[in-house]
Amino acid sequence: MSLPANRLLCIALLLMVVPAAACASPVTRSLSTAEPAAGEVFTVSLSIEGMTLGGVVETLPAGYAFVATDLADDRALARGQQVAFAVMNDSRITYQVRAPASGSGDITGRWEDFLGESDGQVAASHVAADGIEAPVESGGGDPVPPAAQETGSPFAVLAAVAALLLASGRGGRR
Amino acid sequence: MNQRCLLALALLLIVAVPASASAMDGTPGDVDGDRVLTSAEYASAALTYLDAAYMGGAGDLTRTDIRDAAWVSAHWDGRPCEITDSSGRTTTLYRPLRRVVTFSGESLETLRSLGFDMEKVVAVDKYSHGKKTFFPECQGKANVGSIWSPDMEQVLILRPDAVFLYATISTATCDDIQKRLEASSPGIRVFRFDCFKPATYPGEIRTIASAVGQKERGEEFAAFYESTMNRIRDGAAGIPDDERVRVYFEYWFDYTTVAAGAGYNEKTRLAGGVNPFATGTAEYPVVDPEAIIVTDPEVVVKLAGQGLAVGGYAGHDIAALDATRAGMLGRPGWSGISAVKDDRVYVIHSDILGGAQHFIGTAYLAKWFYPDRFADLDPHAVHQRYLSEFQGIDFDLASEGTFVYP
Repeated sequence: MSLPANRLLCIALLLMVVPAAACASPVTRSLSTAEPAAGEVFTVSLSIEGMTLGGVVETLPAGYAFVATDLADDRALARGQQVAFAVMNDSRITYQVRAPASGSGDITGRWEDFLGESDGQVAASHVAADGIEAPVESGGGDPVPPAAQETGSPFAVLAAVAALLLASGRGGRR
Repeated sequence: MNQRCLLALALLLIVAVPASASAMDGTPGDVDGDRVLTSAEYASAALTYLDAAYMGGAGDLTRTDIRDAAWVSAHWDGRPCEITDSSGRTTTLYRPLRRVVTFSGESLETLRSLGFDMEKVVAVDKYSHGKKTFFPECQGKANVGSIWSPDMEQVLILRPDAVFLYATISTATCDDIQKRLEASSPGIRVFRFDCFKPATYPGEIRTIASAVGQKERGEEFAAFYESTMNRIRDGAAGIPDDERVRVYFEYWFDYTTVAAGAGYNEKTRLAGGVNPFATGTAEYPVVDPEAIIVTDPEVVVKLAGQGLAVGGYAGHDIAALDATRAGMLGRPGWSGISAVKDDRVYVIHSDILGGAQHFIGTAYLAKWFYPDRFADLDPHAVHQRYLSEFQGIDFDLASEGTFVYP
């Protein structure tokens, strides 16, 4: 059984692009604990590599509250469930978050490299107060900036094309 | 000018002016307007942008604004960059160059040597556009003609923030282009550089490097260029006048030589040669064939290139250069001149002697004129390093192109 040419092309494209896109993020997140006790303040660390001037916007699950950061006050901004950091030659940024009495969700984030003129997502980190999965009513979401929506990343475009071709390939079999 | 042309021009102006006007507004984020984007101002600008873009905050900094602010902070230490070009005019830049048009292949080549992002060159002159082998990345770019026949509408439609023109050649035509551009779109920065003259090229490299935020790369490239040119100057400096090699340098056309005002004469002199016809009033005088025989040149150099279309980057055609040389050797009376008797007749392509690569060709001249003095000079290696390391093109001189013969 052989695969149609367009499906092979899609698979080849995805194989080429997915690892590159996954490796391209200059920001990775780690947590002092993924199962904080109710009301515990835990630490979120952002490791930054290859981005000298840029920004990171973190979105916390509902109920979780930003407490403080090791960055100077004029380089961080909190609004609702979101916190923005101005990256200026930093290799690591840490901030503290207070866990709610109960609730779980993902900490998500976006990064922008202003000098490298690129942007992307920070991989999500799951947290659950007391280790108990208890979805909260509304998460913080992960807004996409208008400019990013307009242009779209090459990965997103390729993935969309690949998905469309795969879908059409399946349709053809029926 | 009919009504339709006027309407088209008016539309062009409407399109062109707003796009480039922002280049004059100062650096984004410099809120106190003191022309210095401090670290605190930059941080504030970055947060304002992130807040507006991702967090629902209000703010009017665009993604381009914050990228420009970061660039100015990183490359110009947060200050505007003042550029004095080779026409002596000083221009202040508040943002990086994002849309560049070049009417000069030499400036284009220098930008590439400096690691400028060629994606930001939006249009090039027709000659560079035609160099498919040397400027492959320019094939898809707009063609704005030449300085003698510029496509001004095309330039304005492209909304460049900078246009590169020559400084000291064809000054009247370049002045005219500059005047028309500045009248129609005040935001356009016009830079005048030659990028082919040994006396001014190192300074031009450093100036352009500052403008594009590549000072380190500029120093590296200037050092590479100067190491070759200084080696030639030093090697030729101690040669007594009466021991200098007599050189007949023939331009593309038969019996047409170069005189004092021509760049090729300057390079012949730099390499330690003496041109018996340097005193001519015209840059490229036609000489009496008999006069060449009378001066008895010790070395003959024949130029190939645009007017004698053999060799260069376009092909690997050694036979064509050999035929050119053979034709010279067979000229009436030439069997008696020293250069022919001593087998010192050479062909060189203008690609490596006339433009930004003149240091490579001048190294060949020095080597031909004084093989012992310049035994350690390797023009072929200099050429290959230039292409691989500074031009960043995949071009193997061992199997591609023909630039000198034999």
